[in-house]
Amino acid sequence: MFNSLINVAARRLAGAVPTVLLLSMVVFFVLRALPADPLALLLPPNATQADAEVVRKALGLDRSIIVQYLIWLRDALSGNLGNSIAFREPVMRLLANSLPATLELSFVGLAFALIISIPGGLLLYGTRGTFIESVLDVIVVCMLSIPSFLWAIFLLLGFGVMLGWLPFSGRVDPGIVIPDGTGFLLIDYIVAVQWGYWQNAFSHLILPAMALALGFSPLVIRVLRSSLLEASEDHYVTVARQRGLNERQIILKHMLRNSALPTITLIGAQFGFLFGGTLLVETIFSYPGIGNLMVQAVRNHDLPLIQGIALVFCITTLAINTVVDILYVVLNPKLRRA
Amino acid sequence: MAPVLTFNDVTVTARIERRNIDVLREISFTLAPGGIVGLVGESGAGKSMIGRVISGLLPENFSVSAGKVEFEGADLTALSKRERRALLGRRIAFIPQEPLSALNPVRTIGSQFSEHLRHIGIEKNRHRALMIERLQQVQLRNAEEALLRYPHELSGGQCQRMLIAMAFAGEPSLVVADEPTTALDVMTQAHIVRLIAEQQKLHHTALLFITHDLRLAGHVCRDIGVMYAGDMVEFGPAPAVLKAPSHPYTKSLLAAIPELTGPRRVLPALSDHMPGLASFAGLAGCRFSPRCAVKDSQCMATRLPARAVGEGHWVRCAERCQAAGDAPVGDLIKLPDAASTIPAVSFDRVRLSYHASRGFLGLRRSRFDAVKQATFTVAQGEILGIVGESGSGKTSVGRLIVGLERPSEGTIRINGEERMTGAVHLTGRDTQLIFQDPQSALNPRRSVLRLLTQALETGENYVPEAQRRTAAEALLRDTGLPPDCLERFPSQLSGGQRQRVNIGRALGAQPRLIVADEIVSGLDVSVQAHILNCLLDLNRRHGLTIVFISHDLAVVRYLCSRILMMHAGEIVEQGRTEAVFANPQHPYTKALLDAVPPDNADQPWPPVPAAERASMPR
Amino acid sequence: MRSPRVVIGGAIVVAMVICAVFAPQIAPNDPANQDLLNMLLPPMWEEGGSADYPFGTDSLGRCILSQMIYGARVALFVGFVAAIGATLLGTTLALLAGYFGGWIDRAISHLVDLWMSLPPVVLSVTLMVGFGTGVGNVILSIVLVDWTRFCRVVRSEVMVVARKDFVAAAKLLGFGNIRIILREILPSVTPLIITLFTLQVGIGIIVEAILSFVGLSVPADVPAWGQMIAQARNYMYQAPWGIILPIIAMFVTVLGFNLLGEGLRVALDPRLRKRNI
Repeated sequence: MFNSLINVAARRLAGAVPTVLLLSMVVFFVLRALPADPLALLLPPNATQADAEVVRKALGLDRSIIVQYLIWLRDALSGNLGNSIAFREPVMRLLANSLPATLELSFVGLAFALIISIPGGLLLYGTRGTFIESVLDVIVVCMLSIPSFLWAIFLLLGFGVMLGWLPFSGRVDPGIVIPDGTGFLLIDYIVAVQWGYWQNAFSHLILPAMALALGFSPLVIRVLRSSLLEASEDHYVTVARQRGLNERQIILKHMLRNSALPTITLIGAQFGFLFGGTLLVETIFSYPGIGNLMVQAVRNHDLPLIQGIALVFCITTLAINTVVDILYVVLNPKLRRA
Repeated sequence: MAPVLTFNDVTVTARIERRNIDVLREISFTLAPGGIVGLVGESGAGKSMIGRVISGLLPENFSVSAGKVEFEGADLTALSKRERRALLGRRIAFIPQEPLSALNPVRTIGSQFSEHLRHIGIEKNRHRALMIERLQQVQLRNAEEALLRYPHELSGGQCQRMLIAMAFAGEPSLVVADEPTTALDVMTQAHIVRLIAEQQKLHHTALLFITHDLRLAGHVCRDIGVMYAGDMVEFGPAPAVLKAPSHPYTKSLLAAIPELTGPRRVLPALSDHMPGLASFAGLAGCRFSPRCAVKDSQCMATRLPARAVGEGHWVRCAERCQAAGDAPVGDLIKLPDAASTIPAVSFDRVRLSYHASRGFLGLRRSRFDAVKQATFTVAQGEILGIVGESGSGKTSVGRLIVGLERPSEGTIRINGEERMTGAVHLTGRDTQLIFQDPQSALNPRRSVLRLLTQALETGENYVPEAQRRTAAEALLRDTGLPPDCLERFPSQLSGGQRQRVNIGRALGAQPRLIVADEIVSGLDVSVQAHILNCLLDLNRRHGLTIVFISHDLAVVRYLCSRILMMHAGEIVEQGRTEAVFANPQHPYTKALLDAVPPDNADQPWPPVPAAERASMPR
Repeated sequence: MRSPRVVIGGAIVVAMVICAVFAPQIAPNDPANQDLLNMLLPPMWEEGGSADYPFGTDSLGRCILSQMIYGARVALFVGFVAAIGATLLGTTLALLAGYFGGWIDRAISHLVDLWMSLPPVVLSVTLMVGFGTGVGNVILSIVLVDWTRFCRVVRSEVMVVARKDFVAAAKLLGFGNIRIILREILPSVTPLIITLFTLQVGIGIIVEAILSFVGLSVPADVPAWGQMIAQARNYMYQAPWGIILPIIAMFVTVLGFNLLGEGLRVALDPRLRKRNI
């Protein structure tokens, strides 16, 4: 089995490198080569020609596009992604500070999504043919029609403002020290054995992670339910019933493992959807992650920062896809031969 | 001794679209301990439904509305779901069809067998030893290793052995085998049937053997029940039912099965087809009467009671119809000889290979030869048979003939002209292929009219739209389709009708040669007879050259004057059909001929391998 | 075929289309008119509300109901046109990839994989920064991002159909590739395309709202639901109706398209019909 796992990983990595390169090119050219004059975006309206020339030279905009790209690439490979125009800090440092926050939020969001969708899918399947199913179905369709940023606003207004049950801003209460470490607060506070702070960090994560989860769950519920429906008509399920196994055993020990496969595929394919939702959710909850950073960068026309963030999103998504592919091979014996 | 299983006038009713339809009517039979009863019928006759009544897994809206099912003295229909489940796997076991898909693909064989053993109450620590012992009993080689394998890593035969071991593991009193060999190759079928018979004898289990193959049932079962449209029309000891059938349906069924020996006669084919569920309501009396040659008004109106015609042998048919009910004897067939003109097809050392990427990063390439060194000819107006099991390369040969594949090596000549190996060259319309699966071969969005006249839409046979109808009607006549089906769509046709549209579509291009790839496998015997006669007719009237690909030796013998035997991509034997059958040279041909159930139920079958035969006590 | 989803979804869609088309007739006020004497007015059913402004006004005194009605114009226009673009681009490439296979399929699949390595929101935001604001650019960026999803889904279906024997049969009759694609394959995948198209309109509306929330969509004086939401966020605590109402408008519209799309999927695919979904 390990042979095929290594095979998958190697194939993915081999394919990832050109992908990242190509995407970085696309992002670069889109931002610089399109009708919108990058310079006009960067200068205040009353800049003079001389000012423009200075900025142009400083940013290397006087060279050809291709050369600009190669310079950027060379710098990027050595870890230098340029400086943010608005924050006047190296892009790399800004990213290093915010990426863990977003990853933590996304993973907790994914976990919440699974907690909602797996029982949800099972419930929808278990009540098939009954009136309850129709009701649940309508609920799922309604959920599908609400993107995560709307969930964010509801949750903020409802649980945050009106009910006051949960905090709705930042990663921790103001005044709490953020330890050095991985950047993942849930891990760092455990390592530092600061239980109170851990709870605080977690409570700040709940609302934004739920917003992401609620936007993502209906997709997973759908896929899980339809693959369970398909599996229930599979020949081996009928045969298992003939052997005397009861429905519960059949669902848990047979159907679920088979249905996990298309579900995992969907999660992998749509992870970008969840991940991209962080842009607005972080903004709404004032959560200091790269999504929030991206929105600010966009508002400030901060090209180096936009580029850097786009690159990070891309690499992260590819990494997640690789993990999902490996997981798929582990679970599906038909793919195990090298 | 008390019977293991008794069906007593069991009727199953289904509620479909607010009507009550009797899906099974007054089914009665008994199965003694250690006995074997066969349920034989075409698809849709209700034989599998009987299995579902036993397991209690009837579809929604289906229920037993009358009669009693007794198992070891207890009333099965009165049991609760849980009590019934307790019986399944332990006292009553099933051997399913399509063994490869009957096991969970993501769990190992061992874990599924172990789960079953736990269900029947065997302690965990005894599982491994017991599994290995049972698997060795069913001759699954390398039993220990097999336990770690997944279903897709085994062959159909191996999976079926596993399932048989699982079925007998609980020492059940009753085993229901539902078409256990239908999806398997002929040779594997022989092994599996022998295995089931051995196990049955060993464990003294009663066996209910469900199949569509009447001949097979005759070799395996003590008693046979013939099913038609939800009725059991005849029941009796196997020799009696096969040699002296009483019901007109049984007679026509037997007559429509092509034989491996004896003179070739035109198979008498019944008109129409078995009624589906929707038509049951309109048939109050004998459901076979619309197709019966000797019916009278009483047959149609009233249910016929079971009438004894021999020891343990009864039939649901009136006495007055008995004498006149014999099927007419068909004319002798004269198959065309090979004419001495340019051969229609000529293969010269043709090879067809596929390349696959394997290994790390797909860098290694391996070659798979689907067809190796094929050399043969097909004469004009001849019907040639290509026989082989799945994977033998026969389909590839068919595709090479019509040009859907290009040979990797060697020359193919059609009517003397070489087919180019360079360009993708489909020689226009001279050769056509009738595909095996009509579901896949007919565009579901085209009406029958548009399907039949597809060839006339462009090209050399172009006919403007207004005149296509006449052409379509001619094709309908050629293939024996009813005139009212032009406006219908494939989903509204029966399996046999779809296959005929398939043939008609291929004929529309007015080819000189047709390749028919397994076009009758999976069809009911009566429909099969129709299609075969249709092909014979086309060959006689239009001089159509036919290459008939099949795995069924009896069918090939009926239709073809010469045959090719293929195995693992090679042509192992070729010659006139009678010669090859009477005097097979190649060991594969011999083994294949031995593996087919003989016409005569008295001949010993399944075959016992020579080594075993040698070691049997004198 | 009288599926409740199709009926309800269809009704909502039709209602929204009417709103958009007949906005000038239906809306009680001019959405751009700033009535600075009546800022942040509550809806008329609340205390302090007025029948002149049934749903109240925003921070610049503009009638919320009128903005909502006119906002349907932007939403539906963007949704439909972007859906048409994504459908055409995605379907064409899917047909080519699925039918011809080989290097064409590999090239297109690599392109799709590449494109999908960036989360859609990030990509569309990036494109909009490069393109600049404006309805046309919004449509363009939605098309450029979402065609990949079309392509992937339709391609699988095309591959299934292309492997069927009736396609080989058509080749045997000498039919050319274009003819086969248009006559044999396209009709089989059309139901799927219709469903995806309908769902895509809903997605387009959401993306437009996201973009206008970030300020990258239409100019500030054109009423758009996303913009309304973004602006009302500043006054969420004092005047919650300002944010709730456009959210409801967006939700109902997207729901309508989703219901319609789901209903069509079941109605057009006979295999799913028996499951009463």
